[in-house]
Amino acid sequence: MTPTPSTPLFSKARRALLLGLFASVCVAALPRPAQADTLADITKAGVLRVAVPQDFPPFGSIGADMAPQGLDIDVAALMAKRMGVKLQLVPVSSTNRVPYLQTRKVDLIISSLGKNPEREKVLDFSEAYAPFYNGVFGPADMPVKSAADLAGKTVGVTRGAVEDLELSKIAPANATIKRYEDNNATISAFLSGQVQLIATGNVVAAALIAKHAPKAPETKFLIKNSPCFIGMNKDEPALQAKVNAILAEAKKDGALNSLSIKWLLRPLPAQL
Amino acid sequence: MAYQFDFLSVLDYTDVLLKGIAVTAQLTLTGGVLGVAVAIFGAWARTQGPAWLRAIVGAYVEMIRNTPFLIQLFFIFFGLPSLGVQLPEMVAASLAMVINLGAYSTEIIRAGLAATPRGQFEAGASLAMSPLQVFRHVVLRPALQKIWPALSSQIVIVMLGSAVCSQIAAQDLTYAANFIQGRNFRAFEVYLVSTVIYLLLALLLRQLLRGVGRQLFARRAR
Amino acid sequence: MIDFTLWDIVRNLLLAARWTVLLSLVAFVGGGVVGLLVLLMRTSKRPFLRRATWAYIEIFQGTPLLMQLFLAFFGLALFGVDVPAWLAAGVALTLWTAAFLAEIWRGCVEAIPRGQWEASGSLAMSYVQQMRHVILPQAMRIAVAPTVGFGVQVIKGTALASIIGFTELSKAGTMIVNASFQPFTVYAAVALMYFALCWPLSQASKLLERKFHAAHRH
Repeated sequence: MTPTPSTPLFSKARRALLLGLFASVCVAALPRPAQADTLADITKAGVLRVAVPQDFPPFGSIGADMAPQGLDIDVAALMAKRMGVKLQLVPVSSTNRVPYLQTRKVDLIISSLGKNPEREKVLDFSEAYAPFYNGVFGPADMPVKSAADLAGKTVGVTRGAVEDLELSKIAPANATIKRYEDNNATISAFLSGQVQLIATGNVVAAALIAKHAPKAPETKFLIKNSPCFIGMNKDEPALQAKVNAILAEAKKDGALNSLSIKWLLRPLPAQL
Repeated sequence: MAYQFDFLSVLDYTDVLLKGIAVTAQLTLTGGVLGVAVAIFGAWARTQGPAWLRAIVGAYVEMIRNTPFLIQLFFIFFGLPSLGVQLPEMVAASLAMVINLGAYSTEIIRAGLAATPRGQFEAGASLAMSPLQVFRHVVLRPALQKIWPALSSQIVIVMLGSAVCSQIAAQDLTYAANFIQGRNFRAFEVYLVSTVIYLLLALLLRQLLRGVGRQLFARRAR
Repeated sequence: MIDFTLWDIVRNLLLAARWTVLLSLVAFVGGGVVGLLVLLMRTSKRPFLRRATWAYIEIFQGTPLLMQLFLAFFGLALFGVDVPAWLAAGVALTLWTAAFLAEIWRGCVEAIPRGQWEASGSLAMSYVQQMRHVILPQAMRIAVAPTVGFGVQVIKGTALASIIGFTELSKAGTMIVNASFQPFTVYAAVALMYFALCWPLSQASKLLERKFHAAHRH
């Protein structure tokens, strides 16, 4: 707020400043010591920290009392219970859930996370625990039946979500894709008419219809079946084995199936 | 496994960053020019307008200065459609910036006018100039010259504040950073690079405004 | 799903507003302490300290607060520090506040006539003693109004913490908008609450400005 009127643009001082910034960035690029075993850390601390969505019903949303609820929250609770530790829910958005895991703010991501090659470079995945069909949805009177019909229309999508990546591949060049920072903003944009269509999960659209949203998102076409996986950091064989073991057990004794019926209103598909 | 920094991966997305810079520049230009125009009108209204206009402008200034820009932006973009006013994100972002800069600058220009010696007004009146003519031809330019540094600072502040427009998917530099980070998962590297770019943009903008000030007020340089 | 009445909306927003107030206080107090240190270094006789703090102030005043929040959030965590959103927001806002307060106060210190420095120097006072007993008490009178005025900026700055996921007033607003489908009402309510927090401070600042007649003293 107090400019120095007589300092030239690239004065010695400013050059030194930028050089200093560059130097500190180089120092910061030095490698760090390796991390310990996360499963051991979880058991020792007695707490499992899980990244969950809070703007994506029925996987994660808030009720009128501002408490989180949803399929992912219940799966997280199941994980913690069967590991014998306490649960700490960490609400995240689609855009920051992977950075949260990478910077070890959370141990697991249970946030309707889909698997794809870019993510497999930085994360490991468990077995699938819930189905998830991505699609494009819009008002009943909008004539869209396939990706080609998106020409000249606006579609809202949450940045970084699987729908974003898939849609970017199949949408025609003159379709306008607007990417929002989190599902809240994407849904807001659709409901306020700022975008004509929304690319999201089928159950999310169903939840909006069930809530009697002012604009009912009817299914236009489905993009992909991209089931939900639990995400964790790479090189964590003990954690991955434990998570898969708990999921297998929950599938066998029907716990996961009842969660699916409760939140997705249908039983778990056979291939899971 | 240790976190290995990877700044080179950001370079793959240079075109996205350049587009972001262009949009930030566009928003700043629109916001700056129209915002100052609004402020000149607002300052005139507050000092010489009728009482009802003074009250309205006063209320506008207080509302904007005491609420966050983010909320003003969300209100325009997500709230107005409920009243049937649907603005695409560039229009909404530009409007929010104009309204925001306008409010702050109204006060700044008003301070400049208040510091104008009464003699100027009286001299103009004695030459049979109407109050509006006096405003336009006699007092406005010296007032602007006086407060130009403060006004320039405010424009830079609003340019930096434009980062928030990424939240309604206006494709500015912050949106570009978020986009790249979502594709290559290199959040820290991308944000650091973008921050340095913003710093350079702020420096450039300050220089530019200084140059504009020199051009506009050259004849009256003291 | 449950229907949101106007009271539900207002109640939930008020609960979230507590966090806005808390974060603002932390940033303002923390920023004040750090800002004082920065001020002392900025006005010290050692060129290295002056340049280092000049750089710090240039960076924090010349970059968007949103970027500072992102860097605090993602950056600190990379260096092994586990940083929840409220802590990252607190750190970033504190550093940002400190930069601005230091500059505001520097302006006030520099408005003190050189004669005061010379007189206290001739009494063999050290720099710190001069600041503590002679300069700062006088500068503080001038500084009160703009400092209180900056408090308004701090409160508005906390709104950006919503973007890194901290559930304060703005974040609560966006969440409730999608649960209640009433964006106009909710954002109007959010704006009014911020106004209720900020406007008294703005008015206090104006009052103090007039009372201490600061700008016209010299």
